[in-house]
Amino acid sequence: MRGTKLLGVVAGILGIAIVATSVERRTIGAQEPKASGGSDRLVVQLCDGETKLEIADARAGEVLPPEKAREVARRMMAAYAEQQAKQVSKWTARDRLTWEREQKRVIEEGYKLFHDWRALGGTIGISCDMCHPDAAATHPETYPKFQTQLKRVATLRDMINWCIENPMKGKPLPPDDPRMIALEAYITSTRKGVPLDPGKH
Amino acid sequence: MNGGEMRRAKWLALGLVLIGFGLGLEGTGSSVPQKFQISIPLGIPADLWEMMIPADNPMTEAKVALGRDLYFDKRLSVDNTVSCATCHDPRFAFTDGKPVSEGVGGKKGARNAPTVLNAMFNEEQFWDGRVKTLEEQVLQPLINPVEMAMPSHEAVVAKVRGIPEYARRFREVFGGPNPVTIENIAKAIAAFERTLLSGNSPFDRFIAGDPAAISEAAKRGWALFQGKARCITCHEFNASSPFFTDFKYHNIGIGMKATRNFESLVRQIQHMAQENRLTKEALDRLALSEGFSELGRFLVTRQPKDLGAFKTSPLRDIELTAPYMHDGSLKTLREVIDFYDQGGEPNPNLDGGIVKLNLTEQEKADLEEFLKTLTSDWVRRVARGEIQLAAESTLGNRASSLAHGSRSSRR
Amino acid sequence: MWPLKWKKREQEYRRHREEFFEAVKRLNRREFMKIAGLSAAVFTAKTVVPPHSFQVVDVVRAEPQEKPLFRFAYISDTHLYERELNERFVNAALRAVRDVNALDPPPDFVIFGGDLAQLGQPKELELGKQILSELKVPVKMMVGEHDWFLDMGEKWRELFGPENYSFDHKGVHFIVLMSVNEKDFWTERNMTPMERMLTVAQLDNPIQSRFEVGEQGREWLRRDLAKVSKDTPIIIFSHSPLYKYYRPWNFWTEDAEAIHEMLFPFKSVTVIHGHTHQLLTHRIRNIHFHGMLSTAWPWPYAPEGLPPLTVPMERPDPFDEADGTGWGTVDVHRDGYVDKHYNLWSRNPITVAKAYLESWGKEAVPPAPEFPPY
Repeated sequence: MRGTKLLGVVAGILGIAIVATSVERRTIGAQEPKASGGSDRLVVQLCDGETKLEIADARAGEVLPPEKAREVARRMMAAYAEQQAKQVSKWTARDRLTWEREQKRVIEEGYKLFHDWRALGGTIGISCDMCHPDAAATHPETYPKFQTQLKRVATLRDMINWCIENPMKGKPLPPDDPRMIALEAYITSTRKGVPLDPGKH
Repeated sequence: MNGGEMRRAKWLALGLVLIGFGLGLEGTGSSVPQKFQISIPLGIPADLWEMMIPADNPMTEAKVALGRDLYFDKRLSVDNTVSCATCHDPRFAFTDGKPVSEGVGGKKGARNAPTVLNAMFNEEQFWDGRVKTLEEQVLQPLINPVEMAMPSHEAVVAKVRGIPEYARRFREVFGGPNPVTIENIAKAIAAFERTLLSGNSPFDRFIAGDPAAISEAAKRGWALFQGKARCITCHEFNASSPFFTDFKYHNIGIGMKATRNFESLVRQIQHMAQENRLTKEALDRLALSEGFSELGRFLVTRQPKDLGAFKTSPLRDIELTAPYMHDGSLKTLREVIDFYDQGGEPNPNLDGGIVKLNLTEQEKADLEEFLKTLTSDWVRRVARGEIQLAAESTLGNRASSLAHGSRSSRR
Repeated sequence: MWPLKWKKREQEYRRHREEFFEAVKRLNRREFMKIAGLSAAVFTAKTVVPPHSFQVVDVVRAEPQEKPLFRFAYISDTHLYERELNERFVNAALRAVRDVNALDPPPDFVIFGGDLAQLGQPKELELGKQILSELKVPVKMMVGEHDWFLDMGEKWRELFGPENYSFDHKGVHFIVLMSVNEKDFWTERNMTPMERMLTVAQLDNPIQSRFEVGEQGREWLRRDLAKVSKDTPIIIFSHSPLYKYYRPWNFWTEDAEAIHEMLFPFKSVTVIHGHTHQLLTHRIRNIHFHGMLSTAWPWPYAPEGLPPLTVPMERPDPFDEADGTGWGTVDVHRDGYVDKHYNLWSRNPITVAKAYLESWGKEAVPPAPEFPPY
């Protein structure tokens, strides 16, 4: 019995050692130098996918012995911990990814609605793009402005609803309707970079 | 100089100084014109009122009083039966309650009398905008055969000059060797008209921030007015332009059904234009002639898009100014709403903004409720006779004696 | 009491609407006149610019020796939906027909500029044919992409005949040229006919191909032109502009240069085109180009590529359902070049005269709008 236990323990330790070293080897393997030409120093990338750490006493492509590899790994962890401690922004790359995806999705949703009178509740087959192909002549950068159809200073949203109610003969959207937000997102996206000029006629 | 002379000289000098001082004081007093006191009703921008007083016709108490008396004076008509107030009667919010107005001898014109209230803010006067200012407007009914029927402006001037009281007052107000002129008559009447303002209605108080000023139905009506019923686009209302009109001309089809010989009417107008016969006077008579009247703004501009187009009527006090439209053909507010709901009257030049509205019964009732909130408190009291603008009533055919009436009250 | 009243009103409205469409279905002359409203008056004053529905042959600015040879009218881009869906476009087409019929003297013929139907459906095309059949003078039909891409022109040919044809009139050679062919984009995408139609119907849809006359069309044109002497004035009706204005919206003919090469040898060539729903003026050497108005709705001016000779119409007010739309007439002069009249329904008429193009924009300049396009 004791013999089996001993065998198990040894096997376990051996296993861990193998795994550990192979893990280290793997991580070392992952550290292909990403630096440009010139330097042949080893450069590793940290977990944030952006920060690079230069290892002074190692060469790119060099196969490191386990001790050295463990030292590099330790240094990487230390650098990462330092980074976390110094971090100012609460927003991460992951957040930014989400924002871009959502913006794109809502703009695409807006593009669809812009071209689909049924989805907007129009009743006579007239869609936004019939007077505004590629959102031409929507001039979102000029709002708020005195809107001559409404006879008051109004916003883009007001005018979108006026168009839905009048030429499209549908029912105006509630202001917080996701379709309204999508339409605004699409329309304004076509004028990105155009300077604001509220009140321009 | 001896002592007595010296004393006389001193007294003389003192007297001269005192007189000089007195003159100086009086000079100071009269060189600062008294600002004309008027209380602008809630809802009308006060600076707009001031801006629209023409430089050559400043407001003074005496001028306004003179203008008021002329306004109510039937002697300005050929047989002393018709004054401005006959068709622009305070009892009907300065209209006359008739489909088309009737002048001397009961002669009928072709158009419904517009109100004088807030008329000073109109871009142009008359249903077809054929003159620009209040002063110019006064000149026309005086000599129109179906209105006051005077043979000429000279005749009007001669008549007024022949009334000593007027001669004296004109001299007082206008000065100069020859103060009774047709221009000054017009200026006086126009000055009085610039005191006829409509505001401070329940709606104005609502806009100013009192949510209880109008009923819930009226609030729904106001929302419809701005939304589904599409009224506001022509009957413009905002703080800078609170008159419920865009001052433009639109063909909504009124009168189109009845007009028979459009073609020949238009041809005649164009011939007259070519031959330079379309004078102000000629235009004025045509505007009130059956048939020609229906050409509307086209009479003035002779542009195709203006055929059958008439000025967007302001809507204040609309409850009191029935019947409606340029020919008075719609009797009630409900008829008006129904007319717009059905998409106006089809005709070749129907304004593209006139479409079927698909209003429900409830919506039409709400709109009507809203329109009723546009009546000025002051105008309502004048209409009821609670406030007198002229000393003598305008009823009856008797020639009125010179009316030193109570001053128009401030509100 | 209340609910009953409301119900009655709603029923009344619905009944009125039913009546309208029933009447449209029948559309004999009497019914037509009833729908179209009052019979319009006719104005014949000669030296004052007459109301735009009723123009005489003597144009205001015409010099005595420049009196035009003849006049024809145009109605274009009616984009009819099936009647249950959209009354507005049907009413506009009826109005154009009524206005053209009121011309005194009547025009020699009417050219229909394409896009009779909105989605190429048989019912839409038949409705259009019914409406146009009320015209008192002959109609020359031209096909647009909205008529074509549901069934690749099958119904159109059945109703109106071949898409390319020519005719001579008072010494002028008229060509009706099918210029809205597209290279196949639908087969590889496994599109149904309606999907193909909807793709083409969307002006800003990048999937579709650019318009072209195409090889077969160019060959047909070459053969037709071979029969015509170089001195004969030529007027070409085309749906696409036959030049390159704005590619993303197919305000564009891909093989325009090849077409121009065929036309340069002629003394005078005028192209009258549809599709753009706006006032448009262009010139390339001896070729004058004029756009036709739509009766249904106006397109905005493109962000770039506007032909320099164009004096744009003022941006339309969507409150006015007729603003930016209308029909028009063309006065053809002896030399083949034309005065183009735009009868905008809510505006004063605008004329782009022969002299304007001949002088490259120096003379007879049309009035510019207060508010130019965005």
